[in-house]
Amino acid sequence: MKKIKTISDLNAIRKVLENDRIDSEDKKVIVKVAMSTCSIATGSKKVISFFREQMGLEAIDSLVVQTGCMGLCHSEPTVIVSVPGKDSVIFGNVTEKKVNEIITSYIKEGNDIEGVLLKKNS
Amino acid sequence: MKKDKQIKLALKNCGSIDPEKIENYIAVDGYKALGTCLGEKGSSEIIDVIKASGLRGRGGGGFPTGEKWEMASKFVADQKYVICNADEGDPGAFMDRSILEGDPHVVLEAMAICGYSIGATEGYIYIRAEYPLAIKRLKMAIDQAKEAGLLGINILGSGFDFDIRLKYGAGAFVCGEETALIASMEGKRGTPVIKPPYPVECGYKGKPTIVNNVETYANIPVIINKGAEWFSSIGTSGSKGTKVFALAGKVKNVGLVEVPMGTTLRELIYDIGGGIINGKKFKAVQSGGPSGGCLTEKHLDTPIDYESLKECGSMMGSGGMIVMDEDDCMVAVAQFYLDFSVEESCGKCVPCREGNHVLYQILNKITHGKGELKDLDKLKAISEVVKSTSLCGLGQTSPNPVLSTLTNFYDEYYDHVVNKKCVSKQCRALVEYKIIEDNCIGCTACKRVCPAEAITGEVKGKHVIDPELCIKCGACIEKCKFNAIIVE
Ligand SMILES: Cc1cc2nc3c(=O)[nH]c(=O)nc-3n(C[C@H](O)[C@H](O)[C@H](O)COP(=O)(O)O)c2cc1C
Ligand code: SF4
Ligand code: SF4
Repeated sequence: MKKIKTISDLNAIRKVLENDRIDSEDKKVIVKVAMSTCSIATGSKKVISFFREQMGLEAIDSLVVQTGCMGLCHSEPTVIVSVPGKDSVIFGNVTEKKVNEIITSYIKEGNDIEGVLLKKNS
Repeated sequence: MKKDKQIKLALKNCGSIDPEKIENYIAVDGYKALGTCLGEKGSSEIIDVIKASGLRGRGGGGFPTGEKWEMASKFVADQKYVICNADEGDPGAFMDRSILEGDPHVVLEAMAICGYSIGATEGYIYIRAEYPLAIKRLKMAIDQAKEAGLLGINILGSGFDFDIRLKYGAGAFVCGEETALIASMEGKRGTPVIKPPYPVECGYKGKPTIVNNVETYANIPVIINKGAEWFSSIGTSGSKGTKVFALAGKVKNVGLVEVPMGTTLRELIYDIGGGIINGKKFKAVQSGGPSGGCLTEKHLDTPIDYESLKECGSMMGSGGMIVMDEDDCMVAVAQFYLDFSVEESCGKCVPCREGNHVLYQILNKITHGKGELKDLDKLKAISEVVKSTSLCGLGQTSPNPVLSTLTNFYDEYYDHVVNKKCVSKQCRALVEYKIIEDNCIGCTACKRVCPAEAITGEVKGKHVIDPELCIKCGACIEKCKFNAIIVE
């Protein structure tokens, strides 16, 4: 990032960044994979790379990003999936098999599938 | 699972932004509070906001943060320091790690605000070396903030300079105590020293120093952004805002939760934690780690705040919350914590070094079936001495698990020493493995697995365990498919 020289520059940059924040993205499918010590210990590194690979293969317009953890240690790896026009959904205990199911059934076909921990409207 | 009882302030961005991208943090009001402070507020104005918010330290002591900053700001010195305590040594606690891994910039921003308020230009994060991912993300965050001009010389053109470095701890629990932490940073042995003088007057390198916990810092930017009044509307009269807890033990939803102060233990364990696993009965909850106490059923409606927990004989602590069920032996739990304290005592003062050791030995004697009734009085008397005569917080609180279990679970202690029984069947010396004749079909599975050759019996004949030979390993019980083996 370029050096920010003044407070008003910072505020201007924030305006721009706010607008292309991942959460304000309304056309792409957003996948957030928790990547903290506990998530990584349960296999989230595999999950994130598998997600990236499969989303690419399926040519889905999407962003797969890493985040810290939400504190749902009992169900790591956890993933938040936001499909345009729908509430975000948190999946727990995600495996490669589950990733396939999320992509084909939940994202592509729009079905409700099992493994949802909770819905989130943000 | 219900999550609606939670309010996320310190964990606001954890799980929603990419911690490795400063752009993500800036987009969610990141460094806005720093901008406001540098542009519009004087030092005393910021301190007044923090004071008015009612924020108290989240590292265990609960000291009012604004007052601490005010004291440090008033001392005149050529240099002052801002330290973030990320030593996090409580067994089972990982609140600070999650914040540092999920939102490292929030801590950097808060430290810079603190530096500006007290007149310091250098900050240090004392972090345990066992947190490699948190260290990696902090390093990235510091580099990004420097590149963006949010740390370093003349931040945002304000003329204020502030730099942050990391110092690594080797994992000694006592090094989380602020004076020991400072000694360790100076390259000395990590042992506490007598206070006063407090670090705010004479800290790192003898200069006025603020030591605050990770979670305390994580609350600062949101207080500046949303105001003291807003923050103090959350919580109870003496404890404002939220607290993050690492919920662990026999609870269904193990994990990190952030609840407003004043939430009851029952709401935390049942509504958010989902209750006890495997349909077992709740027995106790330990807050405050090795310094805290075991609370029971009758305390479940206690609101979680600094004063209420103290009144019940426990403490807020830094956020460890371990739930126990009917299978946990409370004497063994006290022994576990004492073992930790004996191991972690720095050895500087006699009551802590020797007293904890003696407490441990008495507990060990009791769990091995050799306890006497008079040991219970001894436990109490020694605990009081250790508490009142130890130098630092470790010794002053280490007998709490003993005292609280003695008060709340006296019957269990009595059973151990008088009836030589352990109701939760955890103390090996006090249980016996037996085979119920009627259930045994003579499959020989237990006999084959027993490492002590304690089981005799022929195929299709009744099997018997010789109590003299049995080492109580429990292997046979797992093999028996006919529920023929019991522990008494
Ligand atoms: C034995 C012992 C261990 C401690 N460990 C920690 C720790 O790991 N993290 C922490 O923030 N405070 C710890 N403290 C408390 C610190 O001494 C200090 O009070 C705290 O860092 C102040 O920050 P706060 O006001 O923001 O809570 C410990 C205290 C004692 C006595
Ligand atoms: S508890 Fe262990 S030692 Fe005792 S009888 Fe069973 S298998 Fe043998
Ligand atoms: S496994 Fe059970 S039934 Fe089989 S011999 Fe041992 S005690 Fe008897």
